[in-house]
Amino acid sequence: MAAALKLAGVRKSFDGFPALDHADFEAEAGEVHALLGENGAGKSSLMNVAAGLYAPEAGRIFVDGEEVVLTGPRDAIARRIGMVHQEFKLVRPFTVAENVLLANWRGRFAHGLREMERQIRTQAEQLGFAVDPRSRIDELSIAERQRVEIIKVLLAGARILILDEPTAVLTDEEAVRLLTTVRTLAARGTAVILVTHKLGEVTAFADRVTVMRGGRAVAVLDARSTTADELTKLAVGTRVTPPRRASSPPGARRIAVEGLQVARADGHMTVVDATFHVRAGEIYGIAGVGGNGQTELVEALTGVRAPLAGSVELDGAGDTTGASAERLRDLGIASIPADRFGYGLAGGLSVIDNFCVGQVHTAFYGSWLWTDGASMRKAATRAVAEFDVQGVHNMRQKSALLSGGNAQKLIIAREFSRDPKVIIAHSPSRGLDVRACAAVHERLLNARAAGAAIVLISDDLDEVLSLSDRIGVMTRGRIAAEFIAPADRQAVGRVMVHHA
Amino acid sequence: MLDQAASRRLLTTDAASQRSAGSLRVGRINLEVRQSIPLWLQALILGGAALLGIAVSAALLVAAGVSPKDLFDEFVVETFTDSGNFHSILFQAAPLIFVGVGAAVVFRIRFWNLGIEGQMIWGGIGATFVVLHTIGPPALRLPLMMLFAVLAGMAWVALPAWLRMRLGVNEIITTLLLNYVALNFLLHLLYGPWIDPKDAFPHSQQFHSFERLPEIGWGLSSALPIALLCTALAAWLVLFSRFGFYTKFVQDNDRMALAVGVPIKAVTFVCVLLSGALSALAGFVIATAQEGRLTQSFFEGYGFSGILIAFLARNNPIAAMIVAVLVAVLFVSGRSLQVFYQIPFAMVQLIQAIIVISVAASEFLIRHRLHWVH
Ligand SMILES: Nc1ncnc2c1ncn2[C@@H]1O[C@H](COP(=O)(O)OP(=O)(O)OP(=O)(O)O)[C@@H](O)[C@H]1O
Ligand SMILES: [Mg+2]
Repeated sequence: MAAALKLAGVRKSFDGFPALDHADFEAEAGEVHALLGENGAGKSSLMNVAAGLYAPEAGRIFVDGEEVVLTGPRDAIARRIGMVHQEFKLVRPFTVAENVLLANWRGRFAHGLREMERQIRTQAEQLGFAVDPRSRIDELSIAERQRVEIIKVLLAGARILILDEPTAVLTDEEAVRLLTTVRTLAARGTAVILVTHKLGEVTAFADRVTVMRGGRAVAVLDARSTTADELTKLAVGTRVTPPRRASSPPGARRIAVEGLQVARADGHMTVVDATFHVRAGEIYGIAGVGGNGQTELVEALTGVRAPLAGSVELDGAGDTTGASAERLRDLGIASIPADRFGYGLAGGLSVIDNFCVGQVHTAFYGSWLWTDGASMRKAATRAVAEFDVQGVHNMRQKSALLSGGNAQKLIIAREFSRDPKVIIAHSPSRGLDVRACAAVHERLLNARAAGAAIVLISDDLDEVLSLSDRIGVMTRGRIAAEFIAPADRQAVGRVMVHHA
Repeated sequence: MLDQAASRRLLTTDAASQRSAGSLRVGRINLEVRQSIPLWLQALILGGAALLGIAVSAALLVAAGVSPKDLFDEFVVETFTDSGNFHSILFQAAPLIFVGVGAAVVFRIRFWNLGIEGQMIWGGIGATFVVLHTIGPPALRLPLMMLFAVLAGMAWVALPAWLRMRLGVNEIITTLLLNYVALNFLLHLLYGPWIDPKDAFPHSQQFHSFERLPEIGWGLSSALPIALLCTALAAWLVLFSRFGFYTKFVQDNDRMALAVGVPIKAVTFVCVLLSGALSALAGFVIATAQEGRLTQSFFEGYGFSGILIAFLARNNPIAAMIVAVLVAVLFVSGRSLQVFYQIPFAMVQLIQAIIVISVAASEFLIRHRLHWVH
């Protein structure tokens, strides 16, 4: 039987730089086929070609053995290829049903909408998702939005389902639920393509795995008989050993948070009572299911949002509650935000600008009278090399065009270039490949060794457990419990779920 | 609205153009977002677009009955050889430079100041106030008039700035509507307390000679050097100083700017006040260099011109100055076309529009690269 989807010799470049070069790929009906590779290897680009979004410069596409030319996403949908993108494509102020209807037009609007709501309910039930077709996309969590995307694609009749890093934004439990659903879909004859950086998912849930490197497929393996080590070696070229936390006694108390209360812009109070302290040379991990006040806590600690009540004290500066981001940064607070292109980078500006803005106020690049372009370029070039930011062809290129992992490295380069005293890191390794992930962790551990106090907020329990000296569990806006490393995974997990 | 990240990627979506019918497929045009673009290429594209616009305009004028030779004479030869023409261009240019640069500095941070005319009116009122109340000795009269003009213009724009920063009120609406308030206040003054006592016409009394901007030789008013000086200062501020570096971040992503410690409020406020001050100076130079008194209509049309100049100059103050001079050429030559060839003034506006549209369209080529795929 011919493969459900086959791509052969695909080439695609962006502004003269090749992202795909003779890439081959094949997925069969009824299998879960994982696609693995470093950040920027070309996974999303290849899948976008299959989904009709990118027109390849060379190469052929076959669906069920028949060669096709896809002139756009609509063509791909007609061939029953559906893709859930890494960055969701939902229209936010509209409801679930309206979004699904937009992708699956059914003639008359009012009638179509009612019909659609019914179909969404049936489909959601079949998949075991709880999705209300009438709720607005705005009100949904990331995991819920993703379910909407999957339903949208399935209702369009997809037999070839491409999921681009679906689990990057999910908690462990949600990920397992999704992947189990995916297996049932495959059992019903769908070809599922699963792009991921998580090796555990590959070995546990996929049938086969294709590994990409530098724009081409370098290996196709049986997922059950391979090991994480082998996959890493194929994807990255070397073995990657995750950095280990050396035991060292912490220093004096650096930051103390007492009874902090923070509300969202809509007035809803999401941080109810956050109390903790972090010492110099210590990593304080905050574990918890996303949406329990983590974002607002980070915003308050970095000076972006003023807290309603409570206090934050910094060693040497006294009470800094409600201080501006400007002042806090002057006092040595660095931040790695979860929303990279929302809070971390100005996408339309160059790599140089994005790097240099961190220190421009300290007269590092000339006085207020004159910013010295040459020294900016030099410093940025050095940092890009030192922090191994790849995909920078030109220092003036827009930062929005960097892949996720490299965007994160650029932010880290900026934040760590000034010897921060306190680091607030929120989901710092989300969406990063194994090597980039290890690099980020190593930077955090090095900063710890250099005496920084680090607050690590993450949905990824393994990340928190392996890096932190102490762990606070955040549920419903409170630090519900604290553990000292080495903490028991089960015990931490229980607090996360039980208090939620 | 799409998720921000989603739209970022969507922008980079390839648009596969329609294939030619049947099997006669030769290829298609592929669109790619440029990663960066060298300055010379950007200048070339913009210049090419402007030239195209000019060519289309010239064709229209020829079709309307102006012979190509006359066109060339009016726009090029006369501009540089006829000293009268040359003077009136430079005379026209000064206020256009002020409004153009004023709009450019504030549009850079996405604050859409549509109240240029209102601020000009207050500039004129501020200067005239000093005259009518004989504030200061004659030797200091002009500098004081200028100071009052600037302060009045800044005060007038400070309100919308404050409303937006404190309460999120859309500045497009407030600045635009405040124009009408300013205009009606001007009319109130000119028909009431400030009416000319000599001829009882609704304009202020004639300024004394020491209340008018002096000439600097060759019949040129000192308005032009002041405008050039202000341009240079604005250019330094937004292009070379640290402040200018910050404006880029306020423009591109203000949430991120706030998080990395850019003093957004200060940057916004300074840009807005500067814009108000420059607009007020446009009013000041018209009152003190051109008209010699406060009239009811000295500001008309400058609001639109300022926006247009800033747009064509892509918010660069130096470019705004050059574009302002070109717009002055268009105005002056357009006026003689009107007189000698009975070309309606609407034609001049049409030409402006054509050039704006072609430059705006060329933006697409600056952002994207087209190439042919077989
Ligand atoms: N629309 C685009 N415009 C310009 N360059 C792009 C675009 N999309 C991707 N690239 C570049 O192409 C290369 C491959 O990117 P792609 O997004 O396919 O990687 P990926 O394997 O999906 O990485 P990640 O794991 O970070 O999602 C990268 O160098 C990236 O910077
Ligand atoms: Mg990707």
